[in-house]
Amino acid sequence: MADNHYGGDSESEDDNFNPAPADLSDEENEAENSSPRVSRKNDHRSSSPVAEEEHDEDEDEDERPSNRTTKRPRIAADDEGGEDEEEEEDEDDEGGGHGDDDEEDEEDEEDEDDEDDVQHRHRRKRRKNAGPNFFDIEAEVDDEDEAEDDERDGEEIEDFIDNAHPDDIADSGGMNDDRRHRDLDRRRELEASLDAEKQAEILRERYGKRAPARGYGDMAVVPKRLLLPSVDDPGIWAVRCKEGKEREVVFSIIRRVEERLGTKNELPITAAFERAGPNSVMKGYVYIEARRQNDILLSLDGILNVYPRTKMDLVPIKDMPDLLRVIKTPSLTPGAWVRMKRPAKHAGDLAQVLDVTENGLEARVRFIPRLDYGVRDDGIGPDGKRKRPGLPGPRPPQRLFSEAEARKKNPRNLQGNPQTNSWTFMGDEFENGFQVRDIKIQLLDVKDVNPTLEEVTRFAGGSEDGTENLDLKALAASLKDSGANVAYVPGDVIEVYEGEQRGVVGKAVDVRGDIVTLRVTEGNLAGQTIEVPNKGLRKMFKLGDHVKVIGGSRFRDEVGMVVKISQDRVTLLTDQTNTEVTVFSKDLRAASDIGGQGSLGQYSLLDLVQLDATTVGCIVKVDRESLGVLDQNGEVRQVMPSQITNKLPKRRTAVAADRSGSEIRLDDVVREYGGQQRQGKILHIHRSFVFLHTNTTNENAGVFVTRAGNVNTIAAKGGRINSQGGPDLSAMNPAMKRNPAENNRMAPPKSFGPDRAINQTVTIRRGGYKGLLGIVKDTTDTHARVELHTKSKIITVPKADLAFKDKVTGKPIDIYSRGGRGGFGGSGRGGYSSGSGRGDWSGGRTPVASATGGRTPAWGAASSSSRTPAWSSNASGARTPAWQDGSRTANPYDGNRTAYGGATAYGGSGGRTPAWNSGSKTPAHDGFGHGSKTPAYGGSGSGDTWGSKTPAYGGGLSAPTPAASGGDWGYTPGPSGHAFDAPTPGAGLSAPTPGALNAPTPGAYTAPTPGPISAPTPGAWQGGWGGDTAPTPAVGAPTPAATGSGYYGAPTPAPYPAETPAGGGYEDDD
Amino acid sequence: MFFLHNLERRVLLHPSYFGKNMTELVTTKLVKDVEGTCTGDYYIIAIMDTFDLSEGRILPGSGMAEFTVGYRAVVWRPFKGEVVDTICTSVNQHGFFANAGPLSIFVSSHLIPDEITYDANATPPQYTNHSDIVIEPGTHVRIKIIGLRTGVGEMFAIGKIDGDYLGCLQA
Repeated sequence: MADNHYGGDSESEDDNFNPAPADLSDEENEAENSSPRVSRKNDHRSSSPVAEEEHDEDEDEDERPSNRTTKRPRIAADDEGGEDEEEEEDEDDEGGGHGDDDEEDEEDEEDEDDEDDVQHRHRRKRRKNAGPNFFDIEAEVDDEDEAEDDERDGEEIEDFIDNAHPDDIADSGGMNDDRRHRDLDRRRELEASLDAEKQAEILRERYGKRAPARGYGDMAVVPKRLLLPSVDDPGIWAVRCKEGKEREVVFSIIRRVEERLGTKNELPITAAFERAGPNSVMKGYVYIEARRQNDILLSLDGILNVYPRTKMDLVPIKDMPDLLRVIKTPSLTPGAWVRMKRPAKHAGDLAQVLDVTENGLEARVRFIPRLDYGVRDDGIGPDGKRKRPGLPGPRPPQRLFSEAEARKKNPRNLQGNPQTNSWTFMGDEFENGFQVRDIKIQLLDVKDVNPTLEEVTRFAGGSEDGTENLDLKALAASLKDSGANVAYVPGDVIEVYEGEQRGVVGKAVDVRGDIVTLRVTEGNLAGQTIEVPNKGLRKMFKLGDHVKVIGGSRFRDEVGMVVKISQDRVTLLTDQTNTEVTVFSKDLRAASDIGGQGSLGQYSLLDLVQLDATTVGCIVKVDRESLGVLDQNGEVRQVMPSQITNKLPKRRTAVAADRSGSEIRLDDVVREYGGQQRQGKILHIHRSFVFLHTNTTNENAGVFVTRAGNVNTIAAKGGRINSQGGPDLSAMNPAMKRNPAENNRMAPPKSFGPDRAINQTVTIRRGGYKGLLGIVKDTTDTHARVELHTKSKIITVPKADLAFKDKVTGKPIDIYSRGGRGGFGGSGRGGYSSGSGRGDWSGGRTPVASATGGRTPAWGAASSSSRTPAWSSNASGARTPAWQDGSRTANPYDGNRTAYGGATAYGGSGGRTPAWNSGSKTPAHDGFGHGSKTPAYGGSGSGDTWGSKTPAYGGGLSAPTPAASGGDWGYTPGPSGHAFDAPTPGAGLSAPTPGALNAPTPGAYTAPTPGPISAPTPGAWQGGWGGDTAPTPAVGAPTPAATGSGYYGAPTPAPYPAETPAGGGYEDDD
Repeated sequence: MFFLHNLERRVLLHPSYFGKNMTELVTTKLVKDVEGTCTGDYYIIAIMDTFDLSEGRILPGSGMAEFTVGYRAVVWRPFKGEVVDTICTSVNQHGFFANAGPLSIFVSSHLIPDEITYDANATPPQYTNHSDIVIEPGTHVRIKIIGLRTGVGEMFAIGKIDGDYLGCLQA
């Protein structure tokens, strides 16, 4: 290897005078890559030392000896700037007229350099300026002479440089001016007095920037063919050396060149390089460039591992360029994947490169061992014969090294360190379960590795923390080598990212073998069709594109939207699980914008499946071959479709009771009680388990499981009535429709007077006192203080937990039922829909009403106490007016009526009722805004509808359902028995209903009142309703008949009227 | 973008409703069935009016009557590139979800300006630039839709807030 070749091909000044060692190391690399250009440069330099020589002398004559060899170190040591300047001059020489003269001189001197071609001379100069150290000794004298001659020229040149910027040299005219000479002298003195570093700084500042451009320009004008070696150039010999030691030999030569630099024993060679590679045919040789074969013998004398005395081949001139042809060797980098060819036991196994030795011949790789822990490795075959080595026995399967097993089976051969988890077993090294070995690169397949994901994951999973740490980059590199398997299909949007057409984006119109025909869609070429090799292409996607993962990625078949693109890596948000995955763009294909639920066979995401007799689960992940199933215990299992017993069809009608006993159904929104308080929509109800879905987490596709008894209803979807099968006839019942809507929305008016619950006999239905009998002593809106019969103690119990009993008979009664109308009106639909409520009602009421025929007794009976309570019930019931007419006879009622006169004031608000309806509609639209409007309409029962809708707006009305329909009874939603029971009292007790609701009620009723008044007595009372609403008959029927005919079966007359408004209200709504 | 769209739908009516005000019932049912639904491409926000109510045909077997109703509805169709004002509904480290009316939009953390980072320690978790911008559930955010996925009865979008005039509206 030559020291006289200066790395860069430009004549950059730095290079020119860099100290030899640095250069050598540079070259070292180049030799490896063997760039032809580089070697050419060497030629030039060594053959034309003159120019450089000249200016060296020029400048330095008075300061130092002209001997190059001594100069070199100096320059290297201190002043770079100086070099700059010198080089500058050199340039000028060559470029300008002076240069021509010089060159002529050279020609005379160097007889071999007879070419006229300027370029060639140029090259010669180059070579000379560096090369002479080693072989051009006889030219030395000439150079000196010449340099002497040139001194004067040098002066002038110096002038040029100093007074004019080099760029302006051409027009620097009056140069002989005396003044200038003096000026120059002064400046020189000054410079000499400056210390070298400063000087260097100045010069660098002045000229430093120009270097690269000039170097480049220089190269540009040299045609390549003129750079080819000729007979005049030194020859290259191939010298035998020990295989694998090629590089070492070259290094030795370099060292020797350095050592002898400047001595009389300088090595007379110009270059040395090797082309050994793992697969190279040129291994076992080093190539030396020199003038004569004998020079080589001299130079290599005593260097180890190289055998110049054996055969030495002169490389034919025409082969020289080939010798230096750059072959891109697949470079192994740590982390890359390779396949092993040998040992035979591991042939074909994937291995990962941990490290590459310095000489590039061996790589340290790790792979999964195939160990049988010495069971068969005793060298004796099963038949007692000695096994022939080399013949692989049956291959044990790949398994990570297990220390325990090794210890058990073959403890003698095991040594190692448990801390680092590195072991030596049977002479093999193991680290973290992987076998680690240095393997010659020849024994590795580094191309077309195509590691499958399964293989790679085994490596990735092996890290100590168990996390996957896939090195995508390395994987990418391995995969890219086999770029052939990227399949482009017409229609793909493709970007060219390499080569001349880089940046071009187009749509593939045709793919033939490796050639893709693109119709360019962007940029200047838009509209043209170009053909490009599929190397250097990649698919292009835009943010937001809907794509599907194809190909070998672990995420195959995932579909998602692109959220990030960086180079060829694309991050997408999967549709199924809303997780982000990163894949190569080659593994993607555009998908339609239609989302589809993932499915595997008959099973799709979020299906409920039976895993075994006692276990069910919800599918939360669909892979290519397996399913992730969240079972009822909250555990996620990976199962194959074959492990699934069967798929449980979605039972739309499934019902469960939540924590408070309200019924919950599919699509209801519930929240866990306690625990994490997760909230979700019910996907499935299976026995006591509910599978819920939430958007707030991605874990398990947002699915979690809990017990039905452990959730609270947040919002119930749609009407309950509908879900019970069959159309909701009441919703569209024309008879109901015709009624004005108002009553429906009416909440019970405020109750006046003492709570009717006081002094009632009650049993406690839940809690520690469950089942005990007592008397209510005092109440608040929600709680009652109950004096127990069993011990003289007064406890506070939620009213909802009380069951009222008849004092005498012990039969359950409903103390608020007297309210009759009011109760019904208030409860609205919800009340009716409840099944169990019916019992109470009809029990209490119907008989009474019908039995009495007349009013007072009837009411009295119902109230179970005398009138007064009845009265109070009236007050509390919404329907006071009705009641009044009914009871008109009684004076007190009159008084009361007056009170209702006030209520009539409600009339105004009665007018409002519709307004309220419309108002309520508005929210309904808001509900749309919020997305969940469906339920609003879904409910056909008006009461329920409202209930459910309310939640949609969540906010003000949120306790909603109840608020809207029932006023105070917290639990309308559960139209079930309890809800009903509880509510009624609520309605009665609490006047509390929201103002809006209250107000209307009376209004609604006020209207009817007159009717009843005119037609007194019970009969009249009914008539009153009839009069009020068109459908008299319908209502008329109600009283007793109603009971039978009632849609709900339950409700006696009262219900109907109450309901009617509801129907009307609904209609109004819509 | 909102559109007035003429649509048609077949409405089934239970026999118990057959009567003189059937038209009204059909309309009511139509509204109930259709308003607030998503067709896959757009949301039907409100029905303006109906027309071309066909005569009903009794379906053999069920006894239901089938009506064909034309109606004009306000529909909302989100587009790629559309900028919408939304309310953030949930935040996680991968990004946040926001609702533009009925449409749920996900904004990936890749599509959030770099200076706005996820702060898991805040309660509730939020995206913040540690000065004026805080995105947490309830925050009003202006989002540009960059991708849409449509499914049966639902739509889903991804959006970005790294762009001019996008992002938190309550800074």
